[in-house]
Amino acid sequence: MTIPATEWMSEIDDEPHLLEAYQGSLPRWCTGCGDNAILAAVQRLCRDEGLTPEKTVFVSGIGCSSRFPHYMRTYGFHGIHGRALPVAEGIKMARPDLHVFVNTGDGDCCSIGAAHWIHAIRYNMNMTVMLHDNHIYGLTKKQVSPTSPRGLRSNTTPRGAYLEPLNPLTVTLGVTNVSFVAQAVDWIPELLYDIISAAFHHKGLSFVRIIQRCPEYLPNLLDPWVQDPMRTLLLTHENGIQVSPGLAKVYKNQVRHDPSDLNKAREVASAEDPIPVGLLYWNPAVPCYDVIRQSPQLRTPDLIRAGLDSELDKFTIWPQDEPKRGQARPRARPS
Amino acid sequence: MNLEHLDLVTFHVTGSRPASGLDDVGKLTLKPALLAGYRDLTRLRYDYPLVLAAGETGEECLRSVSATIDDVLKQAAPGGLEGEALRKHTLRLEREIRSLVAQGAKATLRALWDRAAQDLASRTNEPVADNLSRARDALTVDGEVIDCDATAPAKLITHAWAADHRRKARAFLKDVNTLIVRLTDILRADYMKSSDARTADHLKASIGTSHADVFDFKALSRVLARTAVEGSLPETRRARINWALSVLKSQRFYPDPDCRPQGETRTEPLSFTFESGAAALAAFRERLPQMVELAKAISIAELEVENRYREAKHDPVFSHFDEGALGPKDLALFPSYLVCLRLRPGDGAQSASLVELLSTGLPVKVLVQIDDILEGATLAEGQFAFGVKSLRLATMAVGLNSVYVLQSSSSNLFQVRDRLIKGMAYPGPTLFSVYSGALLGAADTIPYLSAAAAMQSRAFPAFAYDPGAGPDWASRFAIDDNPQPDQDWPVQGFSYQDENRQRVAEDVAFTFVDFVACDGRHASHFARVPRARWNGAMIPVGEYLAHPPERVPERVPYLLMVDENDVLQRVIVDDRLILAARRCADMWHSLQELGGIHNSHARRLLEREKKRWDQEKERELAALRARPQPAPAARTPEAVPPAPAPAAEARAPEGAAPAPKPAAPAAAEAAEEKPSDDPYVETPRCTTCNECTQINPKMFAYNENKQAYIADPGAGTYRELVEAAESCQVSIIHPGKPRNQNEPGLEELIKRAEPFL
Ligand SMILES: Cc1ncc(C[n+]2csc(CCOP(=O)(O)OP(=O)(O)O)c2C)c(N)n1
Ligand code: SF4
Ligand SMILES: [Mg+2]
Repeated sequence: MTIPATEWMSEIDDEPHLLEAYQGSLPRWCTGCGDNAILAAVQRLCRDEGLTPEKTVFVSGIGCSSRFPHYMRTYGFHGIHGRALPVAEGIKMARPDLHVFVNTGDGDCCSIGAAHWIHAIRYNMNMTVMLHDNHIYGLTKKQVSPTSPRGLRSNTTPRGAYLEPLNPLTVTLGVTNVSFVAQAVDWIPELLYDIISAAFHHKGLSFVRIIQRCPEYLPNLLDPWVQDPMRTLLLTHENGIQVSPGLAKVYKNQVRHDPSDLNKAREVASAEDPIPVGLLYWNPAVPCYDVIRQSPQLRTPDLIRAGLDSELDKFTIWPQDEPKRGQARPRARPS
Repeated sequence: MNLEHLDLVTFHVTGSRPASGLDDVGKLTLKPALLAGYRDLTRLRYDYPLVLAAGETGEECLRSVSATIDDVLKQAAPGGLEGEALRKHTLRLEREIRSLVAQGAKATLRALWDRAAQDLASRTNEPVADNLSRARDALTVDGEVIDCDATAPAKLITHAWAADHRRKARAFLKDVNTLIVRLTDILRADYMKSSDARTADHLKASIGTSHADVFDFKALSRVLARTAVEGSLPETRRARINWALSVLKSQRFYPDPDCRPQGETRTEPLSFTFESGAAALAAFRERLPQMVELAKAISIAELEVENRYREAKHDPVFSHFDEGALGPKDLALFPSYLVCLRLRPGDGAQSASLVELLSTGLPVKVLVQIDDILEGATLAEGQFAFGVKSLRLATMAVGLNSVYVLQSSSSNLFQVRDRLIKGMAYPGPTLFSVYSGALLGAADTIPYLSAAAAMQSRAFPAFAYDPGAGPDWASRFAIDDNPQPDQDWPVQGFSYQDENRQRVAEDVAFTFVDFVACDGRHASHFARVPRARWNGAMIPVGEYLAHPPERVPERVPYLLMVDENDVLQRVIVDDRLILAARRCADMWHSLQELGGIHNSHARRLLEREKKRWDQEKERELAALRARPQPAPAARTPEAVPPAPAPAAEARAPEGAAPAPKPAAPAAAEAAEEKPSDDPYVETPRCTTCNECTQINPKMFAYNENKQAYIADPGAGTYRELVEAAESCQVSIIHPGKPRNQNEPGLEELIKRAEPFL
């Protein structure tokens, strides 16, 4: 035997996983919801990359799309509204060995979580972020979102939305340290897969906006694009996405786009019809905060407890401060 | 030949001196002219003294004092005139340190600095103290300062070994500590799931005292009992983890991990420095079972923390885990064994056991220090056994193929520190063969000069053999640390004033003879020739050696030497020494060949190819000449047949584009696909929306990528097919033609199916 036993042993266990190995509980999304396509693509990716479920974590906020972690048989963190990214950053910092994915909605990311979004881009920590952009708050039953089209009648805008929608791509491309920005649509699963796969392989924060159908509340909104392939503009490049011959027969509207060109990426991002699909921007050289700030210190239970204690102590209300009856309670004491 | 010259020839041939006229150099204090400039080394800024920088790893663990002082000046002294005083004082301090060290002071750099600064301050009126203390603030390294003496090689090698040991320990402990923490985590997580962890008492203990009264732990315990997670660690897994933990925690190869719980007794780590190869080997063998156990524990721990241990697969392997299972990667985790030896004259048994030790392939780092290349014992037999023994050991080690070998004079060790560090890190055995220059009992020799001269003169050439550098000699073997490695002897410019006070410059080779001339024991091979008897038949040694030996000698080789007053002398050399020099050159040539310089195989190949090429050209020329000339005055030039193109031109150059073919007729557009009679789904475009599978899960199913296809067209009605096609948002379901012509409402369904055919 030329391979020493210890090396051979660490290899013999690599049995291939099936897609089913990544299926968590049964999705409760509406039939026809674009989230299903995203889930299928992600499960495929996990299988194809052979990711170990216990080394993989999906983090989300609140929304239909944020139910994603429940449907993956991996670790997951169904967080609080708008805070998927900070939770994911904490995980990455503490456990750099994990594959971190974030699933967030247009409401979750672009309205309540917008501040975290901007800073997460700038931190550029190694994770794959999927923005499920269905242009609506689905979970709260049709409330307008920052990406809803102007004039959309919703439960919160019965007279129609007043403002032009926010463009998540141009916002992201405007932030310092942006390193990977792509756009996919849920109805072209082949490209959806390719794009998420490229995002997964990028070292840094990869931001993928996925235009997603919500047949429940916006049944016909995206029909014109779904039905007319010419209204999708495929961005192709040897450093970006390549289109298979089969798909190229259907989607003939293509343009070569060099993902290293930031200005061009911004230009492409601001054109919304036809919908650009592919890799808009990629810069593998941007430093990652998780790497810069990686501590060589071993995370022993004692160290973790001491750190937590010192943080919590900043906010402890000590029993001796207990108010007398009728007095106001003391407020938390910041240190 | 005049009689005067005959004396010289007689000395050269026989080594016997006439009654008068040729002086015995043993009585004079002469040294080779090329070394004239090196009387007082403390005035020179060279590699020594060295600082064995404490706490550093890699090349940084060795610093020269002069480079360290340069760094200090770069940091502390402002540019230009402003920093001039500081620079001057610090350089004076450096010289002071050098002489302290030369006088035998043994201390750290900082301690020497302080002593030297005090001495300087007491001797001068200049305000040096202030400048020197400012410079000292910029001093970032410290460590023992060593001079190039008999102890230098062992100190330096031991220091480099310790640095490498520290590097290994750091990496090892980082990995092992992580494994310990993560294994402990698994046990702790399992405990938290147990009913023990949910008892009211345990819950109370985990909250701390301040708020304990606020909670009802009994109620909490009841709630938690209901939500208990099922399944605890299987007993075999727990036992395995506990075993691995205990082995990892009790290892003694490196110092204790920091994460060991307080109160547990600490054990002394094992020692890895040995007095002899046999002792190192014995220790290695004795520790082998512990190594095997530790390597096994690490492997198991690595699998366990990743949850990749499969009993069916791994149990059989680990139950037969023995020393044969250790691979180079496992061995590389463990410390290497250091053995420092001084080769004594006539110690043949020692070298034999050394070769045996090196051939085991174990990670031993052996320093063989040689203090005498010109061994006295063999001189009597009329043979200079210069360096033969030491060289033989090093070349024998090279012959073992898997030993890293570095040979160098101690004077050059700092220059080859990168190779030294590499040799330490090399996972297999390493031999450092070092000539110290410190001849035992010879008080007047300066080891640094002696060592440098040995390398310059090819008496002790430097070379390195790194088996890890590649598969062939070209990548493994290097002799480029030697001066002018492509020459027989390094040649240096030398200039002096002649009797007319004219400056004369000439190139002088530094040969083996120069090296021997430094050693008073061999004075009998030299005779000084008075200036009056110098003549044209006296030839410089370098030139003399460049030619084959003469059968009937007429010319006599001489060496340029200087006396104490730097007056140039010619010293003739006897033939025995010349013979030894020729043998030295011969050995050097072998090394050159191995190092790819003047390689005889390559030369022969080149010659053969050149000959073949010449012959071929010759033949071609002859063929051209033999061809009949074209008729001189052809009236119709068009009729002259074109001269046949030379063969080389007739062939199309490789990679040339083929001749353009007539344009193919434009490919007909692929015929429009005929609508299929059978139903089908464009599966790769399916978005997994569940519409069709909900209409009829037997008819529509998902493939391994979770995309829909028609699993069984007969499992449902045509109506279902058409409805599925209509509800599919990306319109990729094609219902085809109905199979059952009696299905009710078929006419209408066929109409509805039309857009999807
Ligand atoms: C702090 C907070 N504010 C408001 C809500 C109510 N809320 C739940 S989901 C949601 C919007 C979700 O929209 P989006 O992120 O687009 O997800 P989708 O359901 O469309 O996938 C809101 C406002 C909440 N859960 N928490
Ligand atoms: S409401 Fe919309 S977004 Fe939510 S599950 Fe249904 S279709 Fe999907
Ligand atoms: Mg939404």
